Amino acid sequence: MQLVRASLGRYSVTGLYQGSVGARNYARLVEQEALPTVVANTVVWVAVVVAVTLLLSLALAQFLNLEFPGRRIVRWALIVPWAASLIMTAKLFVWIYDYYFGVLNHALVSLGLLAAPVDWLGDDATVMGAMIAVGVFVSLPFTTYVLLAGLQTIPGEVYEAARVDGASRWRTYASVTLPLLRPALLVAAVLNVIYVFNSFPIVWTLNDRNPGFGHDTTITYMYKIAFKSALRDVGLSAALGVVNVLAILLAVLVYLRAVRWREQEA
Amino acid sequence: MRRTWTALAVLALVALAPSACDRGAGNSIKVVIADYSKDHTRSFWQSLSETYTKQTGVKVDLQVIDWNSIDQQVSTMLQNNQPPDVLNLNSFSSYARDGLLYTADEVLSPKTKADFLDAFVQGGQYQGTLYGLPILSSARAFFYNRALLARAGLAGPPRTWDELVQAARKIQALGGGTIGYALPLGPEEAQAEWSIWMWNNGGDWKSGDRWTIDSDRNVQTLSFLADLANKHKVTQVNPGKTNRTDGAFQLFKDGKVGMVMGFSPLAAQLDAEGKVDYGVGEMPTNTGTSITLAVEDYLMAFKRKGNQESVRKFLDLYYQPENITRWIAAEGFLPVTKSGLEQMRSNPKLAPYLAALPRAKLAPTTDPAWDKVKLDVQQTIGLAVQPGGDPREVLGRLQKNATAAESGR
Repeated sequence: MQLVRASLGRYSVTGLYQGSVGARNYARLVEQEALPTVVANTVVWVAVVVAVTLLLSLALAQFLNLEFPGRRIVRWALIVPWAASLIMTAKLFVWIYDYYFGVLNHALVSLGLLAAPVDWLGDDATVMGAMIAVGVFVSLPFTTYVLLAGLQTIPGEVYEAARVDGASRWRTYASVTLPLLRPALLVAAVLNVIYVFNSFPIVWTLNDRNPGFGHDTTITYMYKIAFKSALRDVGLSAALGVVNVLAILLAVLVYLRAVRWREQEA
Repeated sequence: MRRTWTALAVLALVALAPSACDRGAGNSIKVVIADYSKDHTRSFWQSLSETYTKQTGVKVDLQVIDWNSIDQQVSTMLQNNQPPDVLNLNSFSSYARDGLLYTADEVLSPKTKADFLDAFVQGGQYQGTLYGLPILSSARAFFYNRALLARAGLAGPPRTWDELVQAARKIQALGGGTIGYALPLGPEEAQAEWSIWMWNNGGDWKSGDRWTIDSDRNVQTLSFLADLANKHKVTQVNPGKTNRTDGAFQLFKDGKVGMVMGFSPLAAQLDAEGKVDYGVGEMPTNTGTSITLAVEDYLMAFKRKGNQESVRKFLDLYYQPENITRWIAAEGFLPVTKSGLEQMRSNPKLAPYLAALPRAKLAPTTDPAWDKVKLDVQQTIGLAVQPGGDPREVLGRLQKNATAAESGR
């Protein structure tokens, strides 16, 4: 609520409150040249990270649900990107992606997959992809565990029944596993949308060398408005903060509504 | 699940209800210092605070904050109506404009004030009155890799821009990933790199009260930098998207780079690693006079009822020659006082910077609009040296915004 109040205020560069401006900050927000790009970035960032994470996690969870030697170790290993601090992970990836020192370029060029190194974090064409890859990497553990827990609640008998009916493995997966996994998928999707939308450290750290706002999401843009751009305006930034909170609430509501609607139809 | 420490949290701080100010009138002061180095900053200010408390009985709430978050934390303090009593920052004039600061005469003894070097008194004035007290200074210098210069058949570092282009070409031509000149115009410190190039072509930020960012001379300078990157191809990849610390300096420390603009902390790191045989000289110039950038950081005293005497004593303690000089020497920066200059003159490591100091210029920090212009330059100027970038258009936009910042709030 203090955020709402801040969004209605006028602030000096120093942070000093200079009185109320009503809804003017919101009007100015809409006028910002960078806003369409930033919103588009945010949509791509959230949609792709969450979609790819869910797909990969489904496969990973299925794999970890199998009995195989060393399963315990693999399960533990998967926690590592989750347990490490986001900033440290992001910094690590900055070095992996580096044009001159990065492992990635070194590996790809040595293997002959690339003719010349790529400036992954500097080239406008690759920055978003590079950030999304890291976003997926850090979202996998949590999502996989949610889905794994979901898989383990599916009783063995339903699979036996499917086998008796002569269903193929793929058919079993599509008709038995996925529907029963739906609650877990739902939880994973909603939580991921919220976490990925709010994710600051990855976008901030991987994008910190690029001037302007061409690769920012609404969260990093909000920070730049307040402290790192010529605007230097806490009130305007708070206005975007309010919009962010509303946007994520709305997105989750719409998603839940859509899912429930489909459930009733089925 | 891990808490996402997002900017949202930062702004949530805005939202925290301002708690009552529990600092009694003269019993405690809040001192906020920027973290210059892990090794020296906290230990120096901690011991200074203890000495101060022993002498005066006034407690010190010392906060050492890293550069990445200090702007935001200070802003939050002010939003919550809990300003520091003493603040160390790289800007001051916006605070002076907002009427938050004591003048130097209100919190310094005449003797202390008289010890300041003139250039730094100039650099701390808002509308003719000294508010920004110099805490330390630094100056840039031209670093070159001796081994690479020798391999490229160069007798010494370039003195002019033409020589620089030739030298950079020869170094770049050595192949094997060598880079002629490392040009960091990414958001971290683009305004510093740009200032130096601009001044060495006879341009400037302002002329009198008027911004002159888009002057023909400056367009020529920025076009020259774009040519270094795109026509001569003697810089690292994407110079508009390279930061200083983890970009240009890192490459120089790795021995890949022939030339770079550095400062004394870079020299300290190079000495510690012992990997690169480097020389330090003057910035090549296109006008016959080499000019470098000096940076002055500030101490400010915030007005609060009943704190004036406590703040005065704290500042006087810091400005005692043995204290200020001990700290500046430990951090590897340059003096801001006449007594400090006398003491540090004998240090050969500092000789190139001290020699450059008389012809060094400061960024226009005395103008409150600079706080916005600086950020605008950081977020914009790199775009001009990318392929297809338009120097005139970029500078025109900066000029327009600077003029608007001047007349606006």
